[in-house]
This record gives sequence, structure tokens and C-alpha cells, in this order.
Amino acid sequence: MDTQREIDATDELPQPPGAVLAAACSQALPIWAKQIDTARLQAQEAVVSLMQRFQNIINRLDTALGAARSQAGASTVADDAVQGQQLLAQVIEALRAIRSSRDALAHEIRGLAAYADELRKMSSDVEIIAFKTNMLALNAAIEAAHAGDVGKGFAVVAKEVRELSAAARDTGKSIGHKVGLISNSLAQIVSTNERVSTRDEAAVSESEQHIHTVLERFRQRTQLLTDSAARSNAESESIKDDVCEALVQLQFQDRTGQILQQVVASITQAQQLDSGANLESADQRVTDYLNGMAQTYTTDEQRQNHTGVASGELEPQGATFF
Amino acid sequence: MAKKVLIVDDSESVRMIARLALREQGYEVVEAANGVEALQKLEGDRVHLVVSDVNMPQMDGITLLKQIKASARHKFMPIIMLTTEAGQDKKDEGRAAGAKAWITKPFQPKVLIDAVAKLMPAGA
Repeated sequence: MDTQREIDATDELPQPPGAVLAAACSQALPIWAKQIDTARLQAQEAVVSLMQRFQNIINRLDTALGAARSQAGASTVADDAVQGQQLLAQVIEALRAIRSSRDALAHEIRGLAAYADELRKMSSDVEIIAFKTNMLALNAAIEAAHAGDVGKGFAVVAKEVRELSAAARDTGKSIGHKVGLISNSLAQIVSTNERVSTRDEAAVSESEQHIHTVLERFRQRTQLLTDSAARSNAESESIKDDVCEALVQLQFQDRTGQILQQVVASITQAQQLDSGANLESADQRVTDYLNGMAQTYTTDEQRQNHTGVASGELEPQGATFF
Repeated sequence: MAKKVLIVDDSESVRMIARLALREQGYEVVEAANGVEALQKLEGDRVHLVVSDVNMPQMDGITLLKQIKASARHKFMPIIMLTTEAGQDKKDEGRAAGAKAWITKPFQPKVLIDAVAKLMPAGA
């Protein structure tokens, strides 16, 4: 109201050119200074708050990426699948080794069966020899009887030989019988072994196929998960880079803050132009004021604006080393 | 042990950008909003390198630079100036006072990271 009254009062009399503007400006300058400073502080507060949020996003992304990296360093599910496949291959190999040993054993047993055939033939030979010996002893006994008393001793020997040949024949038969039993057992073992071996081979092959199928599905799933995690990490890295770049772009706040601060200081200083003892001319005071203002600039665009030169685009520059 | 960098700037946003960039590289970062605060931090912390603005309230960057170089304890401290000032006069003033590098704002974090890496003293 006071300001309006003063302006109204000055309207009543003829005023020199610019006097009204000067009067209005003198009243408005402190208000403009406050408005500009308020806007500067509000912008600063908002930008800092925004940057704080960006920093929180970056921290969270860092935490997530750090966790993902530490998991990648440890044994992954995909590694476990590969390891499982290797262990399975070892188990299958061990089973095949067992089968191979059993085949070798069967081969040995077949070899024994061949020996058993030979033993059967030998026992048969023993029987034939015993029979022939018996016939020989019988002839010897006949000849001893023909010899009368002289052959009595020889008849005793012939009798003993016949008894021995009978015992040899029985033993040969017995050996043949036992060899036959052993031979049958061996044949049974070989036959059983071959049946079991065939069944085992089929079971091993089937199991191997099933487990390979399961592990392959597992591997495919884990590969999908791994790919998905890698894509997610790449996205997170990309988002982080974008947020960092956005933070860099917000440096304008520092620059505009400095420019506005300087404007406020200059406005405040302008209010002192008419106060105190002014020994210099008005023009000199304005020149001094403007020169003083130029001394407080901190950016090139302020200096360019002051001289009326168009300010160029601001581009980040490299470092100058001394 | 991580090397420690003192960032001196009255702009919180610039301190934040510098802090993020340097921490990402494994540096420990301490901060001050002006020259007076910076001298206090230098007394308390074992700092290896200083990054400072030029135009700051209470004590400007050039005065801070001169005071650091005048201290027996910190006279070999590498100092990088990070400022909106791009004029050759100011750069010459900074060089004469003992600055090792001058970076003009707006800056790319990589420029600051490279300068810090180049000037960071070796050893503990």
C-alpha cells in the first residue's frame, strides 16, 4: 500500500523521464532479490533431493549387481548340472567296468569247462586202462593156474592187480561223474552270467538315457535362468549408467545457483547506489557498479551475457594438468 | 587400505557426483562445504588428495590451496581444482598457488577419475 501511495504521489507532479521506473525499481529490487533467491533455494533443494533419490537407486542397483556377481563367482546351478553329468558318466563307466570284469570271468569259466571235458576224457581213459589191466591180470591168473604150484605166488599178484584195476576203474568213474557235475555247474554259471549281463547292459543303457534326458532338461532350464539373469544384470548396468548420466546432467543446478546468487548480490548492491555520500557522478557510479558486478562473475556465460556476446553451448572439457 | 580424497565444494550436487564417481573406483571420500571446513577435515583425517571448488563462501578455493601449501604437513598434497571458472587468469592463479590440475564444470566423472588416478601419490 505504501509503495502504491508513493507512486500515486509522484504521479501528481511532472516527473523527469525514468523517475517513476527508478522509484518502482527501488521498491521492487529487494522483492526481486528475495523472489530470485527463493526460487534458487527451492530449485537447489529439489535438485539435491532428486539427486539423493538417484543415488539411492544407484546404491540399490549396486547391491543387486554385487549379489549377482557373487553368485556368478560361486558354483552355479548350471555348473552343478555339468558336474552331475560328469559324475553320471563315471558311474556308467564303473558299471561297464564291472560288466567287463564279469565277461572276463565268464571267459575264464568257459576255459575251465574245456579243462573239465579233458578231465572227463582222462577219467574215461583211466577206466579203459583199468579194464585192460583187469583183462591182463585175468590172463595172468589163468597162466598162473596153468603153472600149478609154481604159479601160486604169481596168482596172488595177479589177483591183487585185478583188485587194483577194479578200484582204478571205480575211481575213474567217480572222477568222470564229479567232473560232469562240475562241468554242468560251470555251464550253468556261464549261462546265468550271460543272462544277467545282458539284462544289466539293457538296464544301464536305459538308466543312462533317462538320466541324460533329465539332466539335459535341467541344463536347458538352468541355461534359460542364467541367460535371463545375465540379461537382467545387463539391464541393471544400463539403468545405472543412465542414472549416473542423469546425475551428471543435474550439474546445471550448481551453475544456475551461482548465476542466480550473483544476480541477488548485484540487486542488493544496486540498492546502495543512491545511499551515502555520493561524490562521484551518477554515470561514474553506474560504471563502477557494472564493473564491480563483472568482477563477481564465475562463469563464462555471465561474462558473455554482460558484454552482449551470445553464449555458446556448454560442453564438458578435459582436465588441464600443471 | 583405500586412498582418501577430500572433496571441497559448497554445492551438494557437485559433491554427490564426485563422491559417486570416486567411491565407484574404490576411493574413500570425505567432504567439506568450504575452505574452513576443509582445513578442519585435513587436521582430523589422513587425506591423500584434495579436489576443491574455487568460488565458495567463508574461504574460497585459492585461499584454501595457499593455506594447504603453507602447511608443513600438507605441502606435498596434490590438489585438483574443480570449478566453473574457465578463464586463463584464474588457472594461472591456481597453478601459481600450487594446484596440480584444473577441471572446468560441467565435468564428466571420468575426467575427474582419470585426474585423481594420475595425481594420487603411490604408497600408503
